[in-house]
Amino acid sequence: MPKVDSFQIKIKTGQNGRATPPVFKINGFELPFEDSEGGLGSGETFTGKGSPQSMAHSLHLVGPGEGEWDTEETTITYQCSGEEPYTVRLGSVTLDSDSDMNIWHERPLPVFDV
Amino acid sequence: MAFSWVNTVFSNKKPVPPPVLAPTPERENKPPPQESFIKLSSGSMAEPPPPTQPSAPPKEPERRIINPPVLTDESEQSSWSDEITIKARVEKDPLTCTFLVDRPVFEGHSAWFPTSDSDSESPLAQSIFEVKEVCSLLFLDSTISVTRSGSSERKWEEIAKDIGSKVRSHLKSGASVISDEFLTRIPTEEEMREKIQFVIDDEINPGIAAHSGNITLENLTGNTVTISMGGGCQGCAASTITLREGIHKAFRDAVPEIGAILDETDHTAGTNPFFKELPEELKAHAQG
Repeated sequence: MPKVDSFQIKIKTGQNGRATPPVFKINGFELPFEDSEGGLGSGETFTGKGSPQSMAHSLHLVGPGEGEWDTEETTITYQCSGEEPYTVRLGSVTLDSDSDMNIWHERPLPVFDV
Repeated sequence: MAFSWVNTVFSNKKPVPPPVLAPTPERENKPPPQESFIKLSSGSMAEPPPPTQPSAPPKEPERRIINPPVLTDESEQSSWSDEITIKARVEKDPLTCTFLVDRPVFEGHSAWFPTSDSDSESPLAQSIFEVKEVCSLLFLDSTISVTRSGSSERKWEEIAKDIGSKVRSHLKSGASVISDEFLTRIPTEEEMREKIQFVIDDEINPGIAAHSGNITLENLTGNTVTISMGGGCQGCAASTITLREGIHKAFRDAVPEIGAILDETDHTAGTNPFFKELPEELKAHAQG
């Protein structure tokens, strides 16, 4: 499990947006995104940066305080200590006040044609 | 502060009376607040009220963790061509490679071939076992998982090309993947479920209870079994060993026709799992 220095996140919101700024949890500790840009309304795109500087036992995008939030696509670029950055794209989910999205993924294994 | 009444009762300080609140319609209908500790401090030896336990911080309710699908370029390709495309992926266990075929290899069921002696009912398995490094095979839908011996000097890239061409030519030929006899021998899902549940209840769960672990039969489709590991097994670094050395063997002893055994546990879930990548020496043990 590598140490995650930082990660860039890009969230494209689907039908239902959210009103409050998103936060993430690293190993259960809630932190705000830095350098936030864009929006979280329906069809809008949000970008931000997290700097956990920690081993990611768990890394979650916290659901909205109320209502539902549809994320159409989430793209995360991880910068782990001593490694080349890598990017993972995640499909759509609907988050609510009781749910979080797992946004920690290890580097995908390489695939080759045979 | 908890136990504040103790300090008040036995101290010489004059207690501070509660503030007098102006009557409001809401307060007027309520009984007067109890002031027992104030009365006690004025000389009465009446029994003090029972101490209140320090209140634990409110426990945060368990939150649902959603795992969205990981998107790949392949997952967005929907075109179907006559040419069979096969991709290979070397797994974290470097002796295992998964071949992803762009069409079903063995639909609806799965088949496990632990050695080259066990391939008599599968022409495709016979063909793949001709590659000398191949140790074991698992067919599941459109994937073939191959385990190789660790002694060969050839790299996966070379071995995988040999396997890929054998799979491609077999599928192109239209020959059967598994004999009909094998399929007729597979017990019904109900029979299998009953036997596996018995093994879980009678053998596996009592064995791992000492580690506060448990396993649950989540699903059984065809002859593919899906389990989840809970309790102490969920975030355990040695869960792979439990799965391979204990669960696989016990299931296959009970029902030899079982194909794939899938573990759907998210071993990294939770706020603080102690899951870690298996160290090399344990990996070697896990592979037997």
